[in-house]
Amino acid sequence: MNTKQTSIRFCGFGGQGIILSSVILGEAAVTKEGIYAAQSQSYGSEARGGQCQSEVVLSKNPIGTPTNEQNDILVAMFQAAYMSHKHELKKGGVLFVDSGLVPDLGDVDPSVTVWKVPATETAIRLGSKMAGNMVMLGFIQEKTGLVSRDSLLAAIRESVKEKYVEMNTAAFEEGIRMAKEDTGA
Amino acid sequence: MGLEDRVLTGVHFMQGNYAAVEGAIAAGCDFFAGYPITPANEVSEGMARRLPAVGGVFFQGEDELCSIYAISAASLAGAKAMTATASAGYDYMQEGIEYAVAVEAPIVVVDVMRCRGENFATQSDIMQVRWAAAGDHEMIVLAPSTVQETFDFTVRAFNLAEEYRTPVVVVSEMSLALMRERLEIPAASAIPVVNRKRTAKSPADYLPFHADSEYGVPDFAELGTGYRVIHSINPHDERGDIEWEPHAFDRLYKRITGKVRENRTKISTVQRFGLDDADIALVAFGSEVRPALDAMEMAREKGIRAGVMKLDAPWPFPEEAIRDLASNVGAVVTVEMNMGKYAGEVERAVCGKCRTARATKNLGTPHTPDEILSVIEEVRA
Repeated sequence: MNTKQTSIRFCGFGGQGIILSSVILGEAAVTKEGIYAAQSQSYGSEARGGQCQSEVVLSKNPIGTPTNEQNDILVAMFQAAYMSHKHELKKGGVLFVDSGLVPDLGDVDPSVTVWKVPATETAIRLGSKMAGNMVMLGFIQEKTGLVSRDSLLAAIRESVKEKYVEMNTAAFEEGIRMAKEDTGA
Repeated sequence: MGLEDRVLTGVHFMQGNYAAVEGAIAAGCDFFAGYPITPANEVSEGMARRLPAVGGVFFQGEDELCSIYAISAASLAGAKAMTATASAGYDYMQEGIEYAVAVEAPIVVVDVMRCRGENFATQSDIMQVRWAAAGDHEMIVLAPSTVQETFDFTVRAFNLAEEYRTPVVVVSEMSLALMRERLEIPAASAIPVVNRKRTAKSPADYLPFHADSEYGVPDFAELGTGYRVIHSINPHDERGDIEWEPHAFDRLYKRITGKVRENRTKISTVQRFGLDDADIALVAFGSEVRPALDAMEMAREKGIRAGVMKLDAPWPFPEEAIRDLASNVGAVVTVEMNMGKYAGEVERAVCGKCRTARATKNLGTPHTPDEILSVIEEVRA
């Protein structure tokens, strides 16, 4: 079962746009590409600044259980959140980390593909540390092709306030560019 | 398409709580009262944004008791009215639920069950939604399993409330209420909308609590249109006058309970998956249906003939469906997100005709398919 679906867990701390990234991914999948997506989230009472995580399941078919203990892709934007969720990545899965904020990966199963992305650092360079999630989303798009670049751009435009659209799409495009240059060598 | 449109036809990626909002508005809801509580707040927030834009009224009550009475009053004035709350908030509403039952006010209550304080999923209030209000009553409770069903069942909740003039509860869990997924809202013309039957009689001839049959539903007259109606929680006769005579009381409550009970097979629809050849049947509602369906497939891959009976409406209890199921399988397993509540009802209806087992857990998350599979394997052994 679940062979036809992909699960992605995003984790970090409140305010990093963890949940927004997952919602944009689901929005792009459902309303732009016509496939199924289910997004679930949890956060403690300390939502602002505390750890938060969000899971998206993408599938060509209707989705049964919308959450998984083991995910195909783990996206970690903060060290403590990485430590909490690193065991939730499948063998052979793909790990994306914000290299500036997750400096210590510890032991990673050799079957896992690791992408270290200076997402927040890049966003700061572009003018807003808040857009680190969009740099990461662009990078993930280029590496995985889960949904198309155009679908995600359309979903970003619909999901963020008008005055932030330019910043976010620029960060997203920069993430794509970085992924094209990063051959993993 | 925008905020001012009543039906947002199209494909959306939407949270369960907002799907309840859109279902309500598509069904004609024009009054909402509520008091904040996690994890039902998105229903109130969505209503505050959407209802005024479509010409309805949003009212934040000072508490749950105020909110439940506000929607009954709005309903008696002709509105289609809803509130939303969560477990502890539903506690506070019980007197108002009892009142709505007694005066036959069509209202819809969304109850997002929660545990461990706030943001955790549970089904531990499945008996509360059935029994918490005082007095003889039958509750209609619908339990969606998907965001799509949250929309569809909220529409249906309004239609059932109108048809039977009684409170209808849409019960969900945090795991569904705060989940986003695909929702396709049909064209307005494809959404069935039922309106309560208005009386054709003059104010002089009108008997507000008279029904044409023993289990019938009285015709309705709106407050403020010249009809004299007392809506009392006390026992009342056909004129609505308070009547303490025991047989009048008996007649009233036989009708109030009977109008729902006698129609239970129409109301409490079930969906059958893999039951044609099943040896082990899982019975589930709400969020638990999803892992149950996955567990069924996993069991079948292992050569175990499992099936699922999905209950669209846990209440009124689908007596006939469960009895029939018990005659056709070797075992019935009740799957629920609590310490074991609804299972008692299921086992009563099974009545020894086959073996029974329970998959119960109340840790704040639905079962995983593996957890349900292990119960299936135990039952089979």
